Parts: sequence; structure tokens; C-alpha cells
Amino acid sequence: MEREKLESMLIDYIDGTLNEKECREVEAELERSEIARALHDQLKEVMVKMGSAPQLEPGEALRRGFDHFLSQEIARKPESRSVKMVPMFYRIAAGIVILMVTGVAAYWIRRDLQNQDRLAKMERELEKYKKQMMGMLNNEFSPSQRMQGVSVAYEIDKPDDEIVNALVSTLNNDPNTNVRLAALDALGQFAKEKQVRKELIKSLSTQKDPVVQIALIQLMVKMKEKGVVKQLERMTKDTKTMKAVRDEAYSGIFKLS
Amino acid sequence: MTDEMIMEAVKSGNLQQASLLFERYHKRIYNFLARMTVSKVLAEDLTQNVFLRMIKYRTSYREGSKFQSWIYQIARNVFSDHYQMHKNRVAGFVDVEKVGGTIADEEESMVQDEREKILHRSMAMLTEEQRELLVLTRFQHLKYEEVAEMMDTTVANIKVKIHRAIQKLREHYFQLEQI
Repeated sequence: MEREKLESMLIDYIDGTLNEKECREVEAELERSEIARALHDQLKEVMVKMGSAPQLEPGEALRRGFDHFLSQEIARKPESRSVKMVPMFYRIAAGIVILMVTGVAAYWIRRDLQNQDRLAKMERELEKYKKQMMGMLNNEFSPSQRMQGVSVAYEIDKPDDEIVNALVSTLNNDPNTNVRLAALDALGQFAKEKQVRKELIKSLSTQKDPVVQIALIQLMVKMKEKGVVKQLERMTKDTKTMKAVRDEAYSGIFKLS
Repeated sequence: MTDEMIMEAVKSGNLQQASLLFERYHKRIYNFLARMTVSKVLAEDLTQNVFLRMIKYRTSYREGSKFQSWIYQIARNVFSDHYQMHKNRVAGFVDVEKVGGTIADEEESMVQDEREKILHRSMAMLTEEQRELLVLTRFQHLKYEEVAEMMDTTVANIKVKIHRAIQKLREHYFQLEQI
């Protein structure tokens, strides 16, 4: 019997899903071939191991997090129905209607008023993203939610102070390394903004997490930020700094000098 | 009361009922995600997201569809979103897993038995699809029909894929065992 077919039949044989004729066929092969017997034993071992693997128990934090979210959701249900839970289709439809209304109104409104309208819409958009982002960043129970919160920043072309401050605060204070790195990545998108550059440089001197320190140094090099060379030199001399970070700092000095 | 009846109640606004579905499914979803991610901490976090999505997107639950398929589909999406986000947003800077060594440490703490460790390392060597199929059918004991429905394919197709996955797992397992 061809090996792949044999192995497939052996799996069904161990599962007990073969009919009588097929069972006899497999048993004859097991009787006849040592290779078939060895395959059978190996397959049985992995299949039994998988089938009897112990169930893992989640921690209590999972239930607490769920209960907390559920009670929040129950408390704000009326509001959520009218604002947040509107399906995407209706939101798009509403957006189209608003655009059409705006188009008709444009006949009657002067050009400068139109501009004001657009500006107001952009501000509303920014407010919407900001609200979405802050909501997720404040979820202390879920690093993934906070990561998603950070990723909202990618939808924003020009951040305001509040958004920058929230991202900087996440970069400097979030307990989860991945979230801090995501915040750094998001801030990197706005590296042309003066305030963002200033905050990133400041963060280099306060960061204690080696993973974030390395990523920050790499970003500084990418930004060609020569102003951090002295800070990098200090890092190379600080014996408390991890070796991998010191190496990255050396490399940064070399590339920026 | 069936899962589907409870979910209908949740959909029509009786949110408190969502606790019952959490009770019935959180361990299974957690185990699915723990086996997929090889991280207990991450699995807890992702499981929480699954149930948050269940509530947030309750109106997208179609009447008459099987709740189990729906919740597992959410879990698969949450896992896939996490994987994509991790790849897109973070991998560009530093390989966190290598620096922290967290995944390896987690794996050690997840299983105590030496042979089970080999099993998990062998599982990690499979493709994501193969791992998922084995987790669902062998660790979680879902029927081929249920998985086929979940993945919108035929039972015959699922069976072929599962057999190949077991064959690969056997190869990896006995290779690792010899080391």
C-alpha cells in the first residue's frame, strides 16, 4: 500500500471510523509490514497525546475584565444604540446623504462659508478619531485594545496636542512593551512635527525598557536627529544600560556623526 | 436554553444574558487561543477581545446560524488581526520575541510534561492552518462537519487537510524526540 494512503487509513483506523472491510485491510497490512506497525504506533502516540492534552485554566482577570465591560455596556446602552452601534452601512449612507445635502446647499452658500464647513468637518473627524483612540487607550485590562487605540493614529494626518500627549504618555508609561513600541511607531509617523521630535528626544533619556530604547535609537537615526549624539554617548558610558542598548547607541553615534 | 436562543436575546438588547455565553465558551476559546499563540497571557487578552466583539457586533449575528461557529469565527478573526497588527506595526523595529524570550518561557510554563513539550514544539512547526485544524479537531474535539462549516468548505477537504497535518506532526514529533 502506498505510504500516504496507508498513513491516512491508519489515522481513520485509530479514530475508529473505517468500515469492516477497510479495517480488515489495515489489520492485514499491520500483520504483514513492520513499517506499517511502526507508523501505527507513532500516529497513535501523537493522536492520543493531542486528545488527552490538559485543559488550561484562564486567570480570574479574564472574568473581571468581561464583567467590567459588560456592566459598562449595559449602563450606556441607549447612547450606544444611537451613536456607536450604528452599522457601517448606515454610517456610510448617512455620510452620502450629508455630502448630497452639502452639495445642494453649496448653491446657496458663499465660497468662504464652504471652506468653513470643510474645516469644521475635518475638526469633527479629528474629534471622532480622538474619542475612539482615547477610549481604547484607557482600557487598562487589554493591551490589544490599547494597541488598536494607538493604531487609530494612522488615520490622522495632523495630530493635535492632545493626541501627541496621549501617544507620548503611552510610550513612556504603558506597562506593555508591545503597546509602547506601537506608540513609538505611531509617533514616528509624525516625526516632522516639532513637538513630536522634542518629546521623542526627551523620551530617550527617560526610557528604561531596553526594547524601546533600541527602537528609539533606530528611529533617531532614521530621523537623522544629530542632537541626540551626546545623549547616546552618555548611554554608552552608563554601566547600568544593557549591552545590546549600548551597542545600538554606538551604532547610532557612528551613523549620526 | 440553547446558545442560539441566548444569543438572540443578547442581540435584541438583553445584554445580561451574554454572561451565560461567556460561562459556556470562555474556557474553550481561551484554550483555542492559548494553543494557537503559545502564550497564556496573550490568550487571555485575545479571549477578552473575542467576548467584547461578541457584544459589540451582536447585531451581526444571523438568526438561525450556529452560535459555536460564529464565536469561533470571531476568535479566528481576533487571532488573525493580532497577528497582522503585530507583523505590520511592531516587526519593523525590533523582534520583541527574541529580545524578551517571552514565548519560549511561556511555552515552558504552559506544559510540564516533557513529551507534551515536544508535542507543542512540533505543533509550532506546522503551518498556521494545520495548527488551527488540529487544535480545533484534536484538542477541542470539534467534529469535521463543524470545522467544515466554520471554514466554509467541504468535510472531505477538511479531512484531507487534517490527515496531512497529523502526518506532518508525527514527522516533527519523532524528529524532535531524537534530539
